Amino acid sequence: MIKMAGVHKYFGNLHVLKDINLEVKQGEKLVVIGPSGSGKSTMIRCMNFLEEPTSGHVFLEGTELTQKNKTDLIRRTTAMVFQQFNLYPHMTVLQNIALAPVKLHGVPKKEAEEQAFQYLDIVGLRDKAHVHPSTLSGGQQQRVAIARALATQQKIILFDEPTSALDPETVQEVLDVMIRLSKENITMVVVTHEMGFARQVADRVIFMDDGSILEEGKPEHFFENPTNDRTKAFLSKILR
Amino acid sequence: MELLQSIFTYDNTMFLLEGLRTTLFFAGSSILVSIFFGMILGLLRNYDRGILGKLAAVYIEAVRNTPLILWILAIRFLVPIPANYSGICSLTIFETAVIAEIIRGGLNSIPLGQFEAAHAQGFTFFQTLRYIVMPQCFHNIVPSLLSQVITTVKDSSFLWAVAIEEFTGKGMILMGRFASSSQVFLLFASMALIYFLINFSLSLIVRSQSGKKPKLAPAV
Repeated sequence: MIKMAGVHKYFGNLHVLKDINLEVKQGEKLVVIGPSGSGKSTMIRCMNFLEEPTSGHVFLEGTELTQKNKTDLIRRTTAMVFQQFNLYPHMTVLQNIALAPVKLHGVPKKEAEEQAFQYLDIVGLRDKAHVHPSTLSGGQQQRVAIARALATQQKIILFDEPTSALDPETVQEVLDVMIRLSKENITMVVVTHEMGFARQVADRVIFMDDGSILEEGKPEHFFENPTNDRTKAFLSKILR
Repeated sequence: MELLQSIFTYDNTMFLLEGLRTTLFFAGSSILVSIFFGMILGLLRNYDRGILGKLAAVYIEAVRNTPLILWILAIRFLVPIPANYSGICSLTIFETAVIAEIIRGGLNSIPLGQFEAAHAQGFTFFQTLRYIVMPQCFHNIVPSLLSQVITTVKDSSFLWAVAIEEFTGKGMILMGRFASSSQVFLLFASMALIYFLINFSLSLIVRSQSGKKPKLAPAV
């Protein structure tokens, strides 16, 4: 579904991704963890060219992502959920969800809105359909953002630290929605600091530091018997 | 009272009202055209890295840093078009540059996350502008645009300098016909009052608009 081959990314002189090679299979739930500044957000942003790799190749569903085909390919393959939600503030919740299906995927407006209600049911916010995002709590906004991502019916959803900007008491409602999604045949890549979520949902966990993937494995192996010293140090700090 | 009656005879009042109509028409139409061209220039200056973006920047800076009266005189005497057209033209040339900067300010107030969300959904750049960025931009700049309408209503009085008969121009013509200085003085005061009433009511609209519409910040 997603393949990264020899991806490097520089910001000026800063080498933030160092030879990333990664393959994510259809339906796989991949969780990416690592300290701040380790390059994990940059890596997930390279998957839909929010950041363009300085060198290397990114493939989505077998097609190489290029500057030229990016809009079209991304439209057909991926959705993204952001740390800051990035809902469209001038639209209602319903309009936020229906916008891309109507304008990009040719779904008739009425049908798109009916579908939007179904996605709102999934995230438990049907009653908020006609309000503007600014009236919602962070957790609710993020659930709307997830509904918006679902509405385009992509096979891949990228989550870039979806709970990092939330109040502690609203984190769980968002994680619950994501756990429910993980039962579906959607390919999920999740950058997160939520280790409980990683343990519960991940098919595979990747640990990144200093721009490289240092360790990867099944969550049981990863959390119980990490082999890399840097991983051990990181885990010992956050798992108590 | 007699003095007032001697100034505001039926004919004089109609004469002035016609000027007022011209003023409002000039201001309104030049603002509308300026919003169109200002949007194009603002977008080019902000997002075009090529020659068009540079040209937009040169135009905006050149016009914004020169006095309006210069443009009024230049267009009137260098461009062979009827006086009224030249009036609207010079106002439009000037306002386009100002409004381009207002629109650019509105564009720069849109958080980067909005562009990223649109990109991640597969919107093209123009679709992003059309559905996501410009609606928020215009929502945010409504107060600035309305204040610019006020400025334009006032600035259009410069057109008197090239004998265009807008409100101030008509008033000046009337004053030339009056014999007594108190008539002239009173007409001046009345005209000032009318400018004030128009612009003050516009600014009340501005205020109620900016109070009513919360800025569309992303709620975090």
